Amino acid sequence: EEGGDDDSHEYSKRDLPEHSCKYCGIHNPACIVRCNVCRKWFCNSRGNTSGSHIVNHLVRAKHKEVCLHKDSTLGETTLECYNCGCRNVFLLGFISSKTESVVVLLCREPCLNVGALKDMNWDLSQWQPLIDDRCFLSWLVKVPTEQEQLRARQISAQQINKVEELWKISPDATLEDLEKPGVDDEPQPVALKYEEAYQYQNVFGPLVKLEADYDKMMKESQSKDNITVRWDVGLNKKRIAYFVFPKEDNELRLVPGDELRLRYPGDSTHSAWQSVGHVIKLTAQEEVALELRASQGVPIDVNHNFSVDFVWKSTSFDRMQAAMKTLAVDDTSVSGYIYHRLLGHEVEAQLIRTTLPRRFGAPGLPDLNVSQVQAVKSVLQKPVSLIQGPPGTGKTVTSAAIVYHLARQSQGQVLVCAPSNVAVDQLAEKISATGLKVVRLCAKSREAVSSPVEHLTLHYQVKHLDTSDKSELHKLQLLKDEQGELSSADEKKYKALKRATEREIAQSADVICCTCVGAGDPRLLNFRFRQVLIDESTQATEPECLIPLVLGAKQVVLVGDHCQLGPVIMCKKAARAGLAQSLFERLVLLGVKPIRLVVQYRMHPALSEFPSNNFYEGTLQNGITMNERLTVGIDFPWPVPNRPMFFYVQMGQEEISASGTSYLNRTEAANVEKIVTTFLKTGVLPTQIGVITPYEGQRAYIVNHMSRIGSLRQSLYKEIEVASVDSFQGREKDFIILSCVRSNEHQGIGFLNDPRRLNVALTRARFGIVILGNPKVLSKQALWNSLLTHYKEHECLVEGPLNNLKQSMVQFQKPKKVYM
Amino acid sequence: EDQVKIKQKKVMEIDPEEEAEFERELRAVMQESIDSRKLEVRSRPALNMVIPMNLFEGSKEHSRMTDVESGDETVDEHDGGSDVAYRVLVKKGNKQQTKQLRIPRDSSLVQSTKQKEAAELEE
Ligand SMILES: [Zn+2]
Ligand SMILES: [Zn+2]
Ligand SMILES: [Zn+2]
Repeated sequence: EEGGDDDSHEYSKRDLPEHSCKYCGIHNPACIVRCNVCRKWFCNSRGNTSGSHIVNHLVRAKHKEVCLHKDSTLGETTLECYNCGCRNVFLLGFISSKTESVVVLLCREPCLNVGALKDMNWDLSQWQPLIDDRCFLSWLVKVPTEQEQLRARQISAQQINKVEELWKISPDATLEDLEKPGVDDEPQPVALKYEEAYQYQNVFGPLVKLEADYDKMMKESQSKDNITVRWDVGLNKKRIAYFVFPKEDNELRLVPGDELRLRYPGDSTHSAWQSVGHVIKLTAQEEVALELRASQGVPIDVNHNFSVDFVWKSTSFDRMQAAMKTLAVDDTSVSGYIYHRLLGHEVEAQLIRTTLPRRFGAPGLPDLNVSQVQAVKSVLQKPVSLIQGPPGTGKTVTSAAIVYHLARQSQGQVLVCAPSNVAVDQLAEKISATGLKVVRLCAKSREAVSSPVEHLTLHYQVKHLDTSDKSELHKLQLLKDEQGELSSADEKKYKALKRATEREIAQSADVICCTCVGAGDPRLLNFRFRQVLIDESTQATEPECLIPLVLGAKQVVLVGDHCQLGPVIMCKKAARAGLAQSLFERLVLLGVKPIRLVVQYRMHPALSEFPSNNFYEGTLQNGITMNERLTVGIDFPWPVPNRPMFFYVQMGQEEISASGTSYLNRTEAANVEKIVTTFLKTGVLPTQIGVITPYEGQRAYIVNHMSRIGSLRQSLYKEIEVASVDSFQGREKDFIILSCVRSNEHQGIGFLNDPRRLNVALTRARFGIVILGNPKVLSKQALWNSLLTHYKEHECLVEGPLNNLKQSMVQFQKPKKVYM
Repeated sequence: EDQVKIKQKKVMEIDPEEEAEFERELRAVMQESIDSRKLEVRSRPALNMVIPMNLFEGSKEHSRMTDVESGDETVDEHDGGSDVAYRVLVKKGNKQQTKQLRIPRDSSLVQSTKQKEAAELEE
């Protein structure tokens, strides 16, 4: 979801050096030799085979001559018989002088058998073959250390046979060519542990590719015609086109920063026209604001008959692939400890030696509670930690405090990431409040998107740097803004100046904040970060999480909640194979115990009870009292006065939406409108209310229905946010109305089947929640069954008109299976 | 600085069949190499094996590995193993060169030289 750069070269390709073992990648000059026939390099480790890699190659390829590396002890040396120059390594061996500490290579046929040698000063009785025990003599070509071998690619004898066969036909083939799955193959599923990073790459690489292909296919098929445009001009004098971009379930949702192409086919007075632009915002009226790149020739006197295409960018996927590759080939990408932990190897626990601060809170932040202090304290002493932050437990404040203390250890700059821009902004703001110098790095495509932390962004700081030596940059910037473009000489100068300034500002920061994908930005190319914190890490895929880690991580903090929604994977094949599992979750499965924040400050205690018992083993404590969540002056018909919640029994039928791809439920929508109107009438503001529904069909229907039928001012209804569960994750509202929609006895409950989605839906409200649904259908699922039972036991399961709610006696069904 | 202790030992799982097959192939290559040389080299090569003493200025210092005078030749006993400094004689084109090479004391090459030396001393 992050656009790439228009003008800069993408990340450097990190490749293994030329002299890497073609089997395993080891490239320590002391451990490798080059085959003089095919000029490939091989190492002297056995790996998983009975002979060393170089001996394996020579035997299988029937190649016989080798050369040492220029940086080895002997320098670049072709091994040959000292006497006759024979280079067949299968014939060579060392003999030593009888009087001097000197050895030479001598071939066993014929030189070793020349009688005259015996009379000289050489000891022929101890001819030592160069290849001994299927290895080169380890004092000539070193055997890589165990540590080196563990980080190398593990190749089996079968794979060696296969690749050697392949080389006979195509000498430049790589091991990856062997692994390439067929088009219709199910991808290899993710594992808990990986032998080494190549295996990791072999599993995740194809999954990322699948997702990328799907994403591309889906987005590029999203062209819409007959779009009506209204025109505007931005403060930066660029043209902005406003239009409605229809969307459906499961289809792409536009986000700021997305790139779209706007086209006009031409007519009698206008020639055909098109321009690319970036989405800078989505208005409350569901309009897209597209800032056009070109300002010349825009047909601003026309409004109808435009077409819009999505411009797909591979940037984020490319960066994931690059990060996996870096992990495999670059020993310095992460510390040895983190490398092995990431791959699930059992390593001896490590402690970070550090002087703990006396106070664990940070200036500018609220005081920390016990579990938050515990989290900060523990994180500072461990190279890898997980923090689980259930809803409303102060994850962001805790993260900011951690970053504050990490930064004060002067280990270099701290990198702070999250998968979403919203989360990065929130965290950047909190960290900045502690007094640390924060730079928020945005994708170039998002520079025009407004942000609550604009003053922290790199592009803003570059623009507003107020020193005389930057005046040249300012002059050029002004010129560029005025004219739209610069002469090529000026453009070059402008770019160089800008790059230098960006670098200077970024380097002077204590903390760099960006999205996970943003950590692969070329502007961070030569930056190293030993300490990395990733917030909302349970919403990122593993390869996405890897992008910020491979910049030198030695201490990693993953914050998230694996009991809430995970990353969104569009490609079912990739999701089935496990791409939707986050790194956080895998580490939990590997036995890393997350530190849980347990005091929640969001929900009325009555609302937190069910989530606490069902998702957090009853550990959630309430940091607020009922009195702090009293709805004073709000006259709403809660069935139990100090329990601001009820399940509103709905028996109306579900329907397929007009688009044919989604569901809606008219009865529920009608009741949502009535509930909303009641809230508004008692003085609740529209911004305090959120309507959650899992189906796009229902969402659209509710929005439409409310403004048509609602008895109050239309604008009030328009301000109410109606959205999917997923888009409410990480946020809160005072009142939540949840419309479940599905009411078909013979089908599943679709989206609502995922316990993590239910958890998110139930934990958004601060003051009160109303759930609308069909208990007969929902009770078939175990978790919903216990939710319904919970409401019923508290006399909060009701039916009838809103002004006369009665306990419902509806019968539940037996849950089908305990498995969720 | 970056020391990691990995708990699980690497278990080398080598298929005995694979091992036997590889051993056969290796022997075949060896044999074939020897045979081809026997056929190829009819006449015995001239010998050119004199150690060029000029490469060792002050040959005394380098005469035997037991000398402990020069830093190169000290026994290296840092990590339990001990190496002995040797010189490898190579030809670059027609030029002779020597290069330092450390050979472990327990290698058969060093062992035999030591035994010889001991025998010589006894004589
Ligand atoms: Zn070769
Ligand atoms: Zn190798
Ligand atoms: Zn020879």
